[in-house]
Amino acid sequence: MIKDRRVWLWFAPVLLVLGGVYLIPVADVIRFSFSDATLLRPVTGYGLGGYQAAFSDDSLGVILRNTGLFTLLSVVSLQAMGLAIALLLVRGDRRGLYGMSALRTIVLAAWVIPGIANGLIWQMLFSEAPFGAINSTLRLIGLSPVAWLSDPGNAMISAVIANVWQGSAFSMIVFYAARRAVDPVLYEAASVDGARPVAQFFFITLPQMRGALLVNTILVTIQTLNTFDTILALTGGGPGRATEVLSLNIFNRVFYSYDLGGGSALAVLLLTISMALTLVYLAVLLRKTAR
Amino acid sequence: MTPRIADMLTYLAGIVLAALFLMPLLWLVSLSLRTPAEVYLGAARFIPEAPTLDNFRQILSDSAFGTYLWNAVKLCALGALGAVIVATPAAYAASRFTFRGKGPVMIGILMVQMISPLVVIIPLYRYLDRLGLLESHLSVIAVYMAIGVPLSVWLIKVGFDTIPQALEEAAAIDGCSQFEILWRITLPLASPALASAFILNMIMGWSQFLVPFILLTRDGQLPIAVAIYNFAGSSSASTTQLLAAACLVAVVPALAAFLALQRLILRAIMAGAVKG
Repeated sequence: MIKDRRVWLWFAPVLLVLGGVYLIPVADVIRFSFSDATLLRPVTGYGLGGYQAAFSDDSLGVILRNTGLFTLLSVVSLQAMGLAIALLLVRGDRRGLYGMSALRTIVLAAWVIPGIANGLIWQMLFSEAPFGAINSTLRLIGLSPVAWLSDPGNAMISAVIANVWQGSAFSMIVFYAARRAVDPVLYEAASVDGARPVAQFFFITLPQMRGALLVNTILVTIQTLNTFDTILALTGGGPGRATEVLSLNIFNRVFYSYDLGGGSALAVLLLTISMALTLVYLAVLLRKTAR
Repeated sequence: MTPRIADMLTYLAGIVLAALFLMPLLWLVSLSLRTPAEVYLGAARFIPEAPTLDNFRQILSDSAFGTYLWNAVKLCALGALGAVIVATPAAYAASRFTFRGKGPVMIGILMVQMISPLVVIIPLYRYLDRLGLLESHLSVIAVYMAIGVPLSVWLIKVGFDTIPQALEEAAAIDGCSQFEILWRITLPLASPALASAFILNMIMGWSQFLVPFILLTRDGQLPIAVAIYNFAGSSSASTTQLLAAACLVAVVPALAAFLALQRLILRAIMAGAVKG
């Protein structure tokens, strides 16, 4: 244990940078949320006006519903996809099958694509023009085209698909690492006892990976809540407000409607949700290290 | 089910998944190589009959695109470098010393990682506006740097943790000062962790949209991710092939960097994933 206060000098650059770009602004955004400021006009008074306006806004219910739906569908699909690919890779590795690292590379490649480009790419794929990628393929095989982006319900599904295509790699890596850390003796014992692969999955793989699943659920939820660039480029939140999620709404409110008070109030809501999830995450981690 | 059949099914599932993940990129390539007439033929011309590089020629001959690419490289490289430089001393102290308040600080750094840039960009915009520092690459680099710091501290700390302290103790006995030990022994040994933190920051910076979109408005200042968004806003069905080429130009540098350094990046994320 070092008592010397100079040890904090090592942390000075980090504290300075994070203090200036995160801590002070976070304090300020909380202050703004109680003020009547706009992006261009300074604060003239404080009150709950921002919260009242933001929370009584008719659109908020729709936006929270969209956010919940988008996050739920994304988190479930991202993890299902990540888990499926991870288990496939582990099986392929074990049996010495070809092409497993190629598959991993392909999935990871989608992950490095910028969110904006991701939205634009899927816009071309979902395009409802007669020459749109998916619809013209459907037509080639004799099926009728689908209103991927102009139908409100479908637009949400399309946004989730684009998000899952790009984001599955993260869950894949987490689950791949976790699955490889499971003691192989467990599987050997199970197969000696005659447990079939499905039973092994439910009674060994899932319970052994419980920690990874929990941690990953929280991380992926935070990531999904905080990003909006794919949706912005894909649908712009439309049609109507069908795909407008909380983060996109904050962005529009502040930078297009100049409603700083209301935007800040919702930003505080977003921050609160993220921090609450982070605390759960930390509790999980601490319990894991304590054991 | 015999193992042979299971292997076949594994291959089948692998091929389906690979196709699913590859298709959007292949479609993008296909569109970018088509003439406008072939764009209108849709999936029937997945492989263009008359492939053309004209779209790329048109995009890349526009000097603005070169500027956007250069801006993106500059912003994300300097931001990433700054993050690593700022994070390294803290990571070293966290790895080597025990002192009161270390746990809370490291957890605090982790929590910052979970704050969306969207939350802080609102006040930052106002500060920078008042200071007259909007439209400045320096401001954007500083914000990229801060966004990269939390992950960098943790990744580099994990890297330092794997270096045996005995090496440093031996150097100390030979009369090296603490700074000399860090500079000559520890940092070179930690270079894989430093490099992977740098590259991950680069890739994140390359994808960054919100920060430059808000803090920069002059066209010549924008990085490529913002530029293609603006370009998409002004394009129409008849310029789909150009938008595809522009998207590809925006995506290829990140893909190339990733493919070249995949092992390093993968190891870093795995280390991060296991540690949380």
